[in-house]
Amino acid sequence: MQARFDKMQQKATTLARGLHYSPFYKFMEQTPHILVVDDDREIRDLLARFLQLHQMRVTTARDAREARRLWTQGHYHLVVLDLMLPGESGLDFARWLRSESAVPIVMLTAMGEETDRIVGLELGADDYVAKPFNPRELLARIRAVLRRVSEAAEPRGQRAQVLRFAGWTLEPARRRLLNPSGVEVPLTAGEFDLMLAFAERPNRVLTRDMLLDLLRGRQAGPFDRAIDVAISRLRRKLEDDGRSAQLIKTVRGGGYVLAATVERG
Amino acid sequence: MKLRLWPQSLVARTTATLLAVLALVQIAGFTITALDRIRLQRFEQGRHLALRVMELYITVAKTPAEQRAELLRILKMPAGFSAQLSDKPPASLLISPLEEQRVIRLNMALVPMPHELRPSEVSLLGSLQEGRMMIGLRLPQGQWLDITATIPSPRPWYAPGFLIAFVVMTVIAGGVIFWTVRRLIAPVATLAEAASHLGRDLHAPPLPENGPTELARAAAAFNQMAERLRRFVQDRTFLLAAIGHDLRTPITRLRLRAEFIADDELRSKILADLDELETMVQATMAFGRTAASREPLAPIDLAELVRTVLDEVGDSKPELADNLRYEGPSHFTVHARSVALKRAVANLVTNAAAYGGGARVVLHPPSGENPQVRLEIDDDGPGLPPGDIESLFEPFRRGEDSRNRETGGVGLGLTIARDVVREHGGEIILSNRPEGGTRATILLPV
Repeated sequence: MQARFDKMQQKATTLARGLHYSPFYKFMEQTPHILVVDDDREIRDLLARFLQLHQMRVTTARDAREARRLWTQGHYHLVVLDLMLPGESGLDFARWLRSESAVPIVMLTAMGEETDRIVGLELGADDYVAKPFNPRELLARIRAVLRRVSEAAEPRGQRAQVLRFAGWTLEPARRRLLNPSGVEVPLTAGEFDLMLAFAERPNRVLTRDMLLDLLRGRQAGPFDRAIDVAISRLRRKLEDDGRSAQLIKTVRGGGYVLAATVERG
Repeated sequence: MKLRLWPQSLVARTTATLLAVLALVQIAGFTITALDRIRLQRFEQGRHLALRVMELYITVAKTPAEQRAELLRILKMPAGFSAQLSDKPPASLLISPLEEQRVIRLNMALVPMPHELRPSEVSLLGSLQEGRMMIGLRLPQGQWLDITATIPSPRPWYAPGFLIAFVVMTVIAGGVIFWTVRRLIAPVATLAEAASHLGRDLHAPPLPENGPTELARAAAAFNQMAERLRRFVQDRTFLLAAIGHDLRTPITRLRLRAEFIADDELRSKILADLDELETMVQATMAFGRTAASREPLAPIDLAELVRTVLDEVGDSKPELADNLRYEGPSHFTVHARSVALKRAVANLVTNAAAYGGGARVVLHPPSGENPQVRLEIDDDGPGLPPGDIESLFEPFRRGEDSRNRETGGVGLGLTIARDVVREHGGEIILSNRPEGGTRATILLPV
């Protein structure tokens, strides 16, 4: 299993090296099928149209009950879930969904409601976009999550509450990075996504394209240099910016690797 | 005209007034006592004079007439007395006042002596008040004995106990007045303190409603007012949050609809408008939340926080990235609410970037005389508009030239920043730098 994933990874790296950025779904056998759960009919329909425009198959549900019915009848690659649902709450539905399956979940959270977001991420949602969201950002997040899932090394299901490496602690739900003495070191949203991607795949090469994919949507105008800038800032914050970086190493040919053992807890 | 010496504090004023009244009462009492004592002493002097005079007279009268002159020469006179024999009564002074005459004559009459020796005629001249008296007594043989007496002036305060008692009484009364006034007026200071505290922190603890009825009522009324104020602010905050909340759905819909607009320019313009709208809604909701959010305090690297904020502002405005600089230690740990504090710093840096074209953030760790962390956010812009700097912190208030679209904003940035910093027990100070530009200083306790 592990070997197979490593091979896939390598293949992706080689491909990316020669080609320009190619959408992840070219690697998938079929167009992804998305289940959108939102109580606003207009948003549901518009979002469906928007995602269809970008080569995705979309089914919509207005509340948790309908979503549950649709879930048992069909097969979905990803669920876009509004946490503010009438009747049964989005969080309850996410909990149920997690107990049923490891399907990736992208939450639509109320702007500024950190507790919902934290609980959602702790429940095992894969990502979130705050409402009112930018459709392109949502699209980028959906793609990034699908790509991450298709490349994931370990069986999905339970998400780590904390990731520890070289004394540092990463808390995905709270989106915090703590230094060895327990002091929070602030990260931008993009830096955090990069850090999480590294910590979830230690000792594996992440290509620039994959990293760019992560930054897309989080940051205004992602361009090639953005990755180098973000990496150098991350290294500075990890105090890894000496003459030769020890934690986040540069791989010749356009990639980076986190050289550390990651403990999950 | 204003009284220069009139004290400002209520305690001092009340004490001064009461002490002045006390002094007046004491002076009046003192005068009355003194006058009374003078009267008494005059009476006593009259009696004394009469007795001395009669003693002298009896001695002279008992002596044979031819030896009297010789006797007067050798006789030891009481202090202030002199006497001589003469053929006529004394006449160099005015006749004594009636009152004194009565006292002296009565006392003379009370002295026991054989009837045949009694003076057949007595003349009294001068007065006790003037300090000199002449008394002429006619001896049985027809000669006059003229006695001149100097009367010491009365000394109403002669007894030392009297003065000491007076001083002690005054000091004690003054002390009691001062203490009582202070105690009575202390609640006014407490009330003022509570009122100014309420201005800064709406959730300040209520005043104790004890003490005298009037004060308890004032405290209760104050607490009630604070409660109403809290509810009012809370309602407003909820209203803001609710509006912001409800705007999310239409903004999301518009964003989605815009994606189907074929005209690229039109679409990007609509999206830009929507971004602006969202920023406003976000700021409004952040303002509504600061009071409510209770993020726990946790250690955070303030130096990294500042650099992260500068990076983020630089990423969104790449043309300003070179003008965003940080100076200070590369790491500095504070205990703070990281999301809130980051928002506060970001608001100030964004302001500096918008109005001053850049920001230089300097972190001063606490030093000997300054126990707080100081974060200075400087820009090279035109500086603060003249006028009341405090008003810049008011919600929905913006610098004069910021109503244009370039700088935008809702006018909540400074309000939110100050709410956050004050929640941390710190303070924000805005000032103009002497070399031009604005300086925002955040002071945080460590």
